[in-house]
Amino acid sequence: MISTPSRTVVDELALRHLDAAYNLGRWLLGSEQDAADAVHDAYLRAARACDTYAGGNARAWWLAIVRNCCLARLAVRSKDTRNVAIDGDPAAAERWLPHTGADDIEERLDSSRRTQQIDVQLQRLPVVYREVLILREIEELSYREIADVLETPMGTVMSRLARGRALLQKALTEDGTTGAPHGL
Amino acid sequence: MDCKTASDLLPLYFDGELDRATSREFEAHLDECASCQAALIELDALRQSLRHEAARYKAPQALRTRIERAAAAPVAARALQNRVRWLALAASWVLAFVAGGFTLEAWNHGSASVSEESQLTRDLFASHWRALAAAAPIDVVSTDQHTVKPWFAGRIAVSPTVRDYADQGYALIGGRIDYVGSERVPVLVYRHGKHLIDVFVLPPAVVPAGTAPVRQQGYVLERASMGGQAVAMVSDMDETELTRFRDLVDASSRGE
Ligand SMILES: [Zn+2]
Repeated sequence: MISTPSRTVVDELALRHLDAAYNLGRWLLGSEQDAADAVHDAYLRAARACDTYAGGNARAWWLAIVRNCCLARLAVRSKDTRNVAIDGDPAAAERWLPHTGADDIEERLDSSRRTQQIDVQLQRLPVVYREVLILREIEELSYREIADVLETPMGTVMSRLARGRALLQKALTEDGTTGAPHGL
Repeated sequence: MDCKTASDLLPLYFDGELDRATSREFEAHLDECASCQAALIELDALRQSLRHEAARYKAPQALRTRIERAAAAPVAARALQNRVRWLALAASWVLAFVAGGFTLEAWNHGSASVSEESQLTRDLFASHWRALAAAAPIDVVSTDQHTVKPWFAGRIAVSPTVRDYADQGYALIGGRIDYVGSERVPVLVYRHGKHLIDVFVLPPAVVPAGTAPVRQQGYVLERASMGGQAVAMVSDMDETELTRFRDLVDASSRGE
């Protein structure tokens, strides 16, 4: 039966790209528990739909399912008044930031402050820009792969990426954190 | 290259999405333009920040264990487990399918044969549907075969013979790179009336055995030879129309 080999393929795929899936979920949902649940949902859905996977880029197919499961959770959450929408509420974003232990060395303080500022600004971006930045800059997906994950034209990927970069750049500059350029 | 063109191309260059020839033209401009240099440095600074300073969350061990356990479970047990989860999560499932169901829906109807030949057929149909579903069947938009061919040259090992049949009613509108199995293959996209035709240039290792057209869900797959390379064409066109195109391509390949 075809389901056995295909199922194995999905298992391998999900486990190999589990960090990427969780990272995407964590950035989209802002919560550890929700991200883990969304990835588990995605795995079940992928396993169930394994015989519908017919070639193409496997990682993009898997991440597309993860993303859809996250968006479904976001949609449910935005209807739930007990929860705060994750966009446009910096205070809410800060609650999800990783807490580091006491940093008494000045340098470590600087670097952790910088990390926190980037995380806050990234979490503040509307989800359409945040996801494209995560996929491109952190997961290093190509335009085509991102287009497959978002199920959107390549042109949309390019314009969202450009807009997302500009917004984040501007936010970080205004935050006063880009005094010392990184990289080059 | 002027600065306006260069700044439009800058992100594509930065992301490694420009073909070789255009990259070189861009670099020639970059050498002499301080503002494009500054813009590139800024993009890179942002990337370094995101790669090295933004959190990259690793999947917690508990999640990994959950999935490993599910993966190890026998298929029958998993089906039950899935059903229970599905009921519990009914609301979010419905939304998930609404958000991303189209492509999967189309694939669901595909044949489930295990032979390599039908796997190839499935890949080709899926690629065609995926491209249509993504509303981006083409990566390089051009009606000029002299633009389409070099675009592939920078991205793929074997660049295809690119021919236009606009005079015969089948106009080349562009190309993309897609996967057949694990192989990246060039796809030439033609338009006939309101129908799109994907022409997959097949690597020698996956040349299909059969010659009869294959039909799935109102789509037809035909095989032909274009400029000596084996191709498979997929379209929702009327079968006689697609056969006419196939004969045209075969004839031009023989140099008639
Ligand atoms: Zn310039």
